[in-house]
Parts: sequence; structure tokens; C-alpha cells
Amino acid sequence: MADDGLAHHRRDPIKSSVGNVAAQRRRQNAVTVGKERRESLVRAKRLCRVGTSGDSEVSIDNDMMIDEEQSILETQASSAVEELKSAVVYQGKGAMQKRVSALRELRRILSRSEFPPIEASLKAGAISFLVQCLSFGSPDEQLLEAAWCLTNIAAGKQEETKALLPALPLLIAHLGEKSSLPVAEQCAWALGNVAGEGDELRNIMLSQGALPPLARMMMPNKGSTVRTAAWALSNLIKGPDPKAATELIRVDGVVEAILRHLKKADEELATEVAWVVVYLSALSNIATSILVKSDVLQLLVERLATSNSLQLLIPVLRSLGNLVAGDSNTSCAILVPGHEITDRVIEVLVKCLKSEHRVLKKEAAWVLSNIAAGSVEHKQLIYSSKALALLLRLLSTAPFDIRKEVAYVLGNLCVAPTQGDAKPNLIQEHLVSLIGRGCLPGFIDLVRSADPEAARLGLQFMELVLRGMPNGEGPKLVELEDGIDAMERFQFHENEDLRNMANGLVDKYFGEDYGLDVSTE
Amino acid sequence: MEWNSETLQNLSQCFFHTLSPAPEPRRAAEKSLAEAADNPNYGLVVLRLVAEQTVDDQIRHAAAVNFKNHLRYRWAPSSDSNSGSTLVPILDPEKEQIKALIVTLMLSSTPRIQSQLSEALAVIGKHDFPKSWPTLLPELVANLRAASQSNDYVSINGILGTANSIFKKFRYQYKTNDLLLDLKYCLDNFCVPLLEIFLQTAALIDYTVSIGGSAATLKPLFESQRLCCRIFYSLNFQELPEFFEDHMKEWMGEFKKYLTTSYPALESSSDGLGVVDELKAAVCENISLYMEKNEEEFQGYLNDFAFAVWTLLGNVSQFSSRDRLAVTAIKFLTTVSTSVHHTLFSGEGVIPQICQSIVIPNVRLRDEDEELFEMNFVEFIRRDMEGSDIDTRRRIACELLKGIATNYKQKVTEIVSVQIQNLLRSFAANPVGNWKDKDCAIYLVVSLATKKAGGTSVSTDLVDVQSFFTSVIVPELQSQDVNAFPMLKAGALKFFTMFRTQIPKPLAFQLFPDLVRFLGAESNVVHSYAASCIEKLLLVKDEGGRARYESADITPYLPVLMTNLFNAMKFPESEENQYLMKCIMRILGVAEISTEVAGPCISGLTTILNEVCKNPKNPIFNHYLFESVAVLVRRACQRDPSLISPFETSILPSLQMILQNDVTEFLPYAFQLLAQLVELNRPPIAPNYMEIFKILLIPESWKRSSNVPALVRLLQAFLQKVPHEISQEGRLAQVLGIFNMLVASPTSDDQGFYVLNTVIDNLEYGVIAPYVAHIWNALFVRLQNNRTVKFVKNFVIFMSLFLVKHNSTTLVDSMNAVQPAIFRTIVEQFWIPNLKLITGAIEFKLTAVASTRLICESPVLLDASAVEVWGKMLDSIVTLISRPEEDRVDEEPEMPDIAENVGYTATFINLYNAGKKEEDPLKDIKDPKEFLVASLARISATSPGRFPQIINENLESANREALLKLCSSYNCAII
Repeated sequence: MADDGLAHHRRDPIKSSVGNVAAQRRRQNAVTVGKERRESLVRAKRLCRVGTSGDSEVSIDNDMMIDEEQSILETQASSAVEELKSAVVYQGKGAMQKRVSALRELRRILSRSEFPPIEASLKAGAISFLVQCLSFGSPDEQLLEAAWCLTNIAAGKQEETKALLPALPLLIAHLGEKSSLPVAEQCAWALGNVAGEGDELRNIMLSQGALPPLARMMMPNKGSTVRTAAWALSNLIKGPDPKAATELIRVDGVVEAILRHLKKADEELATEVAWVVVYLSALSNIATSILVKSDVLQLLVERLATSNSLQLLIPVLRSLGNLVAGDSNTSCAILVPGHEITDRVIEVLVKCLKSEHRVLKKEAAWVLSNIAAGSVEHKQLIYSSKALALLLRLLSTAPFDIRKEVAYVLGNLCVAPTQGDAKPNLIQEHLVSLIGRGCLPGFIDLVRSADPEAARLGLQFMELVLRGMPNGEGPKLVELEDGIDAMERFQFHENEDLRNMANGLVDKYFGEDYGLDVSTE
Repeated sequence: MEWNSETLQNLSQCFFHTLSPAPEPRRAAEKSLAEAADNPNYGLVVLRLVAEQTVDDQIRHAAAVNFKNHLRYRWAPSSDSNSGSTLVPILDPEKEQIKALIVTLMLSSTPRIQSQLSEALAVIGKHDFPKSWPTLLPELVANLRAASQSNDYVSINGILGTANSIFKKFRYQYKTNDLLLDLKYCLDNFCVPLLEIFLQTAALIDYTVSIGGSAATLKPLFESQRLCCRIFYSLNFQELPEFFEDHMKEWMGEFKKYLTTSYPALESSSDGLGVVDELKAAVCENISLYMEKNEEEFQGYLNDFAFAVWTLLGNVSQFSSRDRLAVTAIKFLTTVSTSVHHTLFSGEGVIPQICQSIVIPNVRLRDEDEELFEMNFVEFIRRDMEGSDIDTRRRIACELLKGIATNYKQKVTEIVSVQIQNLLRSFAANPVGNWKDKDCAIYLVVSLATKKAGGTSVSTDLVDVQSFFTSVIVPELQSQDVNAFPMLKAGALKFFTMFRTQIPKPLAFQLFPDLVRFLGAESNVVHSYAASCIEKLLLVKDEGGRARYESADITPYLPVLMTNLFNAMKFPESEENQYLMKCIMRILGVAEISTEVAGPCISGLTTILNEVCKNPKNPIFNHYLFESVAVLVRRACQRDPSLISPFETSILPSLQMILQNDVTEFLPYAFQLLAQLVELNRPPIAPNYMEIFKILLIPESWKRSSNVPALVRLLQAFLQKVPHEISQEGRLAQVLGIFNMLVASPTSDDQGFYVLNTVIDNLEYGVIAPYVAHIWNALFVRLQNNRTVKFVKNFVIFMSLFLVKHNSTTLVDSMNAVQPAIFRTIVEQFWIPNLKLITGAIEFKLTAVASTRLICESPVLLDASAVEVWGKMLDSIVTLISRPEEDRVDEEPEMPDIAENVGYTATFINLYNAGKKEEDPLKDIKDPKEFLVASLARISATSPGRFPQIINENLESANREALLKLCSSYNCAII
């Protein structure tokens, strides 16, 4: 991340800046500021309102889950913490029983509403007593209740989650094999919430050794513990630092567990595991190269073909995309045109393109754009598949973000791979046919958009058209679709690259002939 | 630089003088400030001066401006070795101190200074924020919170203004991980305080309105909200941040309120209305952004906003002062029209309604347009004709129609065609009263047409162009009174210009006298458009690239045309009318220039030239003026050499005046014209030229980088024309001194080589021999100290030229005389590896032939000890001649234009018409490939068997094959 801010002032030769059409794989940005598109089931922090172990006591609670008035809850929370405080201090007879019931009361209060009284609990000093209740040798029931309270506190706002810092070492310690499953799972849940907060807390947890025990929890074949551990892990390895993802893939047995779950697990577990694969493949090149060599691609394709659960399809499709976007050599070696798996991939992508859900459409187009960045054979494969007609329709009718992805696919179909920075060679046959099927207006629309990347892509495609259409037809076509006007908007644009590109194209293909009289002499 | 009362005194004095209207003290002050700026802590000291309450406000303001510019150039000056930047950068400790001071200082200064310091802060922010300035954002936020506690809206708006400028980069940079990290950092720190202040101000506005608060109280609140909206725009630009998605309701609620509420306390004055409108416009930009990029999340608000904007436009369209709001509001509807929700427009009657109540009222001429037409014709033309109307309501209303037409083309075409017919009928019913209807119709046709090449020619399917032209446009053009209804005339001329390619030649030609007539119209726009139309017609090309209108077509009109053009420049405001001058240039480039025409033209042009020299104002006009002179000189003198002498008599005094008075802007032009005149001359050359030559030898002349290319060109002209006179009186030593100076720096070494190559090319070896050692020395020093690829390429070209002019032995011996055996080292280290990088037809041929001669003639290379060098050189030659340029040469970042160097306002602009053709120094050799194989065949015949072995051992296999192929195609054999 060298700061080369100065480079912006340099003017690149126009030729090469127009040259590089999309024809490179694009990974998703590792940094994101937008809301994560995980549906409610898999959101980063989760409240635990119903116990994990499903014991009878919980079901009684169910009836009482009406959202009570906030102020009442807050008062109750404060007094429950007071109660806990005295229970922790109390050393007499029935001390343990007293502690557990105090904890249970606080946990109930923290589970009653969508908006638990976290602030009031913290103000009353809940954390230090809860940490004390987590001490080694405490009975399982006490540990479970304490961890549950912490889970819901951690589901709160940023500062509230941060309040768990002193509890982290003990929560991590209770993940170990010596703990009972329910305790370990509840601790994993609490930790998952903490990890969901942000990279600062993630780094602390990683340095405290949270990753290996969570990874081991994910290995058994089924059960809610596996699911919770997978979810917590997916939060923990989110990056943007790839270190954690690399660490996870190197844990013995993890790859096998992932493959097993993707193959056999129910959709819920498969969803959580798929999110783990998403982050592994998005962040770590090492993880990607290991995964690509396994059967994971086939399994992902299988899930895409058979499932209709949006929540599962999203991470599965994203994982597939990451793998394709990653190491180009490896994925080209697997997605060989003519092999069955390759045809299957295209097939499931077509299914996603047809889907009602815009996330699936967008991600499928993104995956295709990366495949289309491959060899000429890959391009031909997409070109002659059912995807093409869908893509062309989406380019003119879909919402902006999908159109942009689709444009990357179509753009990639028209350029042959090149070495280095040279101007891309055209695949004229594809270009001519796509233009014939009316894709130019879609690209010119992108040029008019406010989005700099979309505009760049539009300009790059226009360059292909201007340069590559036979019989010098390009300029006329661009003209006809009002492309000159679209380019002229960049005359004074603040993005220098776009400005140079647009002005360069206008000058080169539509420039006024200044030296009119040269030819006459 | 120390901060003490003396420095304060001196600097104050300097800044005071920079404001002086008298040039001498001003220049002196500027000079001493420029020198002082190299001292460490200069910026800091100036900043402290800005903060000094006791100093006069004007001086502090001047200092603040200087401070801002100082930072702009020196905060992070380009470190690129090729650019030769010599600015001393600000050192880190000084930077830290500046950063620690500037926020507080900015917030406590008066508005005028505050805006300068805010810009300065933005300059720092551009380089340092956020990574190298982690304290800035927390400092701003803390100040913002403190100021909002006390409702201190001067500070609040200062902080928001600053935040707005440092966040602007998110609006146009590409989305990269680095950018997103910066954005995330800003979001994490600023989202919450932004929403807080936005909601607090919103509540305060509501409260103030409810108690009948004054406009003065409300104004800063509205400004504050506007700034919040602009920051919203920046932070939301890349993608929709989680925080904004979670709080969309709060934002949109206030947004809608501002679009739908009226604020009589403010709106009763035009000033206050402007403030409210600016906020509304900022809101429109935000909802347009959401509409374009986040339409899914925005969907729930869409209908309300569409209705609000629609209603708003109904009101706004009636008033002419509310342009910016109208434009942004229409843009929002345009975005909706092209989105997936375009069905909002599909309802029965919606499109006609839009056309009727939004498009037509906004396209119709208003008093302001008429005023602009009369008062500021340059700006009118810029907007009306040259596409800088992107933000005018006339244009944007048409954009809306185009937007709707993406999905409802046929409907739009039908409705607009009908509208156009209605407008024309209304005009026909009462031409005097309803002339604006006709203007509106013409505007619609032109604006809705599709742009074609050059951005000035169009096609349309709204009307049949030819019949519209004949029935609507031609009557205007043939109208006898050139001064009646000037805006209609301008519209007709514009139409003619735009659709010029579609008007058949006979019809256009028939109107030519009318165009010439309109040059005499009093309206500046009308005579400018007439000139522009003529000029553009002369550029029209038919299929096959042949010009449609030729010199014979305009010859009959030439005298009256030129007279009218020169006369038009006598109209007030058109003294420096660039459209007229461009037309003159174009005509002089096309027409057959008889001696009768040439005379008045040259005297007309020199009169104007003498006038503009006094105060160069319009660079475009001036450029066309010099082009006109150049083209006239070139074409007229070629046709009739007897004109050279009278032309000289006319032009030389003007050029001498430019040199004497040091009219900086014109020096590059003057040198180019002089070069042109020198080239036309036959020796012996007139004495006043030799006077000019002396100017060439003054090193001062060369110090302005903008002059250098033109000076080189002039020097070349002298060297070629009068080599003998140059070699006398020690002039050559002076010329080579200039070469020395130029070649020492990477920014000017190109020019240095031009000088050198010209010397080598034009002078006998005997004349230059005494200096050759100096030349090599200068080049070796550069080679050792600061070697760039460009330099080495030029060096190889120079050696090649030396060789073909003065033979290989002289080359080798003269180099080795400077340092024994250096020639071979240079061949191995520089010549061989860089030969394949040579580009340009002449350079290619020159270096290929010279290299061939080297291996076939030079004992150094034919020596038994040099077998490998010989082979490598041949390998390089074969690479050069057998592979296409793009395979040999990696795109290297070229050095920036000379003109980009900071510190000089004048720039070098090449005069196309004073240009010269490159001379090929090897005219007798046609084909360097043939030359290579023939030479090789010849030399191999002298020692058979020797060379095939060397070739086998040293050439890459691809090159071996290429060489074999060449041998067979030229039927030569290397034995």
C-alpha cells in the first residue's frame, strides 16, 4: 500500500491507458464500506434469544418473549446486575445456586427483547462479575449462563462489544476440548459476535489464540456447535489482513472438514461453511491455491445446481467467483473448456443470471467476467453459451450495478489475452457480433454514468469499437449512438485518467483536421 | 528562516508591493519572495504572518494566497528525475508544525483568509490525509462538537467546508483498496458527527422558522445543511456505506422536507432564495446519486421524491434566476427516466406533460439569454455552440427528453415533432411577436440531434433536415436586413454550421454570399457565427477525404470576404474575435492568394499584431493571428518569391518590437516566424537578421523553457542558411556553449541534441574539429551522471549522424582522443543495447545505416579481438530492421511537455504553418535493409568463411533466420 499519491500527477501516455480493457481478473475489493449482504440469519452479530442446547427451561421462557418497555428492562437489568454482584461476593451456603440463578435472571433480561438493555447492564458493571463467573472450575451451568449474557452484550454497539475485552481470554479458554459442548458453543457464539465487530478486536482475538480451537470445533460432522463455530470463524478471518485465513487453511483437517460439510451437511451448516470459504478464497492466495486443488469447485457447483436457498447460494457463488478470480493459472487448469466441470459451471451461472435475486445476478456476472478474462477458448465458451443472450438483455435492462458487471463480461469477450501492458488484441468476430446484437448503447450509457470505473470500462469498449470494427465503421457507430457527446463530458473531468482517455479518443477518431492544406501541396 | 520582527517587516513589505499596480516594485517583490521561498521554514513564517493580527488585512490576505501556492508547489513536488523539477520541497519538521497550526488558525480567521487557508489545508490533505495526518479528522470532529454545543455556525461551516474539500477525492477516484481504506477511516470518524450536526441544524431551522426567525439567522443554517449534503455526496459516492443505509430514513426525511417546504423569510429576497435553492440543488444531487447507484435501497422513497421534484420544477421553471436548481432537479428526473423505474414515465399523458411544462419552458429564450447574447457574446457562444452548456437549463431540458427517449423513443419523437410544428405555426401567425417560438423550434432540432464528428455536426430524425433547412433556415439567411432579429439569425447560422455536411453543395454555395454578408452584422454573435460557418464549411470533406469546397469556389468572393472579415474586427468587442481570426487563417490556408490579396492581408495582420503586442489578452486569438501570418508568408512567398522582401519589411519591425519589449507570451511565436523568414531568404542574409542572431547567443534567451523549442528551430535555420557566417567571430563557440547548457539537463537535452545535430549536419568538419573534444566531454559527463533512456537514444542518433557525415574513422578517433579506447566501451554498453529502441522513420534509417557502416568499415570492429562485439552489433541491427516498432520498444513514460514546467506562464506552442519538414540526411540510400545485406555480402567476399561463423555464434536464432530471409529476398549472400 505504498502511498504513491504523486503518481496521479503524471500524465500517462494515452495509448496504454486506453489499452487495458478489462481483460484482467478482478477480485472483489478486500475492503468494504457497504452493508454486508448477508441475510438476517447470517448477519455479523447475532443475539442469542433461545438457548443453544434446547433444554426445557428455555421453552418456558419462550412465552415471555414479548418486547417489554425499554425503561422497565433497563431497571430490571441494573437490579439483576446488583443481584449478581452480591451473589458473586457471597461465599456462604448455596453460593453456587445463588450465582446461577442471578446469572439466569440477567440472561433472561438480556434475551427478552430485540433491543436488550446492554447499556444499563454495562453501566451497572456486569462485565467484571461475568468474567469472575467464567473462572476455571466453575460448574457448566454457571459458565453457560455467563457466556450467554456476554453473547448478548457483544451483540450490541461497537463500544458495548469492546467491553468484552477482559472476558476474551477466558471465553477462548473454554473453547477447548475439556469443556462441555454447550459451554464451548456458547463461548464460540460470544466470540463470534466480538469478531464481527471489526479488525481491531479480531486481531486481539487472533493473538490470544482463538482460531485453532474454533477450527477444531468445526470438524465434527454435524450439530449446532459445528455451525456456530463455522460462523464465528467466518467472522474471525474476515481480514482485511489475510493472515488469519492463511492460518486457518493450514490447520490440520480443516480442508477435509470443509469439503465434507459442503458435500453432506444440511443447508444451514453448508451456508456457514460457505462463508468460511468466501473469506478464505477472498483473502489468502495460499488458501485459494489449496482449495482449487481440492474438489471444492465441484461441490460448490453441485450446491448451486441443487439448492434454491438464497442464503446458501450467495456465499457459494461468491466462493466460486473468488476461486476463479484468484490464481489464474490454477483455475484455468481446472476450468478447461471441454471438461464436464466447466460446462457445469457455465450452466449454474446461467441459472443464477436467470434468478430473481439481484445479488445472484450480479455475482454470477462477476464470475463470468473473470472466466471471460481467461483464454480465447474460455471466451468462445461463454460466447457460444446460453449466457450470452441473457447478458445482452441485462446490459440494457438491469439496474446499474448489474449492468456494470455484465459489461465487464461482454468487454472481456472481445479482447484476446495479451502479455504485459500492450494494447489488447481484438477478437473481431465477437466484437462485430455483439455490436450487431445491439450492445453499444449499453456501453455508452456506462460512459455517461457518474461511476468512474463504469465510465472507464465504457470508454475502453468504445476504443475497441473505434479501432476494431471492420471498414472503419467504428466511428460512425459511436457517432450514431451519440457517443461523442458522452465522451465530451469528460473534457474537464477531475479524474485525469478518464479525461485523457476520452479526450484522446475524441481527438484521434473525431479530431478536426487542423492542417487542411497539407495534402494540396 | 527565522521568525522575528525584521522578517515580519520585510515580508509584509514584499506582500504589500505584490499588490502594487506599478510593474517594477511588483516584479521586484515577486522576485524576492520567490527567492525567499527556497529557505527552510518559509511556509511556516508566512503562515505566522497570516496569523498576525497587527498586520494589515490586505497584506495578510496576499500572504495567505502566497502560502497556499507555496504549499501547492512544494508540499510534495514531483520527485521524478526526468522532469528536472528544481523546487525545494518543504521539510518534514516544518510540515508537522504547519499541520499542527493550520486548523485552529483557519477557524479563527476572517472569511477571506479562511477560504485561502481552507484551500491550503486541502492541498496538504490531498497528499497527507489520512495516513500521514492522523490528527486532522479527530481535531475537526472535536472542534465540530465544541462549535455545535455553542451553535457557533461560523466555525461549524468552516469545519464542514474543510471536511467537504478533503472528502472530495472520493467523488472521482477509482475504487481501490487503498481508497476504500481511506473512505472507511473517514466514515468511521465522521458519519456520526455528520448526522448529529445535520439533525441538530435541521431542528434549529424548524424552530427558527416556527418563531419567525430572521433571514440572517437562517442563512448560516442553510449553508451548513448544504455543506452536510455535499459531504453526504462524497461519502456515498463509491458505494452505499452501512451507516448511511441504516440511517437512510433520517437523511431522506430531511431531504424531502427541504424539497417540499418553502421558507418565506429567506425566499422573499433573491439572495435568500439563492441560499435555499442551493440546498435544494445539493439535495437533488444526492437523490440523483442514490437513484443511479442504489436504486434498490432508494426505491421506497422514489415516488415521493419524483413527485416532489416534479412539483418543484413546475414552480422553478417559471423563474429565470433559479437555474442551478432547475438543472439539478431535471437531472434527477433524467436519471429516473433511464433507470429500471422508467415506467414512472409510461403513464398516459406523462411525456406530453413533461414536454409542455418542463421542457418547453426551460428551452424557451429568457431575458437573461437575450442579455447574455448582447452583453457577453463570448460566453453565449461557448454555451450555445461549444458544448459548455452542459449545465444550462436549455441543454439539460433536452437531456431529459433524450433520457426518456431511451425507452420511449417513438413517443418522444412524435410529441416533439408536433411541438416543433406548433411552434413554427405560432411564429408564422405573428413573426414579429412570436419570433422566440421559432428560436425554440430551431434549438430543439439542433439540441436533440445526435452529435457527429468534431462535435459540431449532427443528424436528426425529428425533421427532414433538407426541407427544414429550405423552409425554416434559408428565409432567415436570405433576409436582407442583417441586423433584424439577431438571435434568430444566429440560430439559423448555427443550424447551417451544425448540419453543414448534409446541405448539398449547390444549395450551400448559393448561400455563400449571404454568409459573407452576415460578417457585416452588428451583433457579435451573428458575425462570429457567420465566420465560424464559413470556416467549418471549408473543412467539410466528402467521401474519400476530398475537401468539398476548394480554392476555386471561394476565389470570386475572396476580396469582399477578406474585407468583411477585417472590417468585422472593427466592431466593438470583436477587436480580438477568435472566430473571425480563425476564419482568416482557414481561408489563407485554402484560397489562391494573389498578390493583390496578399498585400492588404499582410498589412491588416501586422496592424493587428502591433496592437495586440501592447497587451496580449486572448491567447486563442493570438495563436490564430500568428498562424495566419505564418500561412500567408509560406503560401504567398512560395507562389511569388518577390513577395519575400515586402513581407519582411512589414513583419520584421513587429517581431523586433516583440523581442525588444520582451513580450513573453509572443517570443516563441516570434522565433518561429523568424525561422520561417530565414529559411525563405537567400544568402547573403540581411544585416538585421544577424542582429537577431545575436539574441540567440545570449544565454538568457534560453533560460525560459517556453522559448527553447522555437530558439532551436531558429538556430537550425541560421546554421542551414548561413553556415559560413556562423563559423566566424567565435560564434560557433557560443552556439556550442548553448548546446552544453541544454544537454546538461534532462528537460532540455532533446533541444541540445537538435542544436548539435544541426551543427554536425551543416558545417564542414574542419570548422567544428577544434570543438569536437569539448562536445564528447559534455556528452560523456551526462552519460556518467544522469543517464536516461531518452538521452542514450539521442546519443546513438548523434553518433550515427556524425558517422555518416564525417566517416567512421573520424568518429572513432575523435572519441578515443578524449579517452583511450572509450569508443568500444560505448558501443558495447550503449550503442548495441539501445539501437533496437530507436523510433521514427528518419532516425531508424540513419542509425541502421550508420551501424551497418560501422561493422563493415571500422577497423575497431573488424579487428579479430572484436568478433563478439561485431556479432552483437549485427544482432542488434537485425532486431532493429526486422521487427515492427511496437515489438522492439517498450512504452516508456515520455517526459512531460516542456510547457508543463512550473514557474513560467508563457508556453511554447508550435505554429503549424511555420513548421518545417525533417530532412533526411541519407537521401541516396533508399532501403536500409538492402544496404545492410549488400554491405555484408561485400565484406564477406573479402574473407570468406569468417562471417557466417560469427553470425552463428552471436545472433539469436530468430535474427539469424530474419537475416537469411533478407539475404535471399535481396539476392545477396554472406559467404
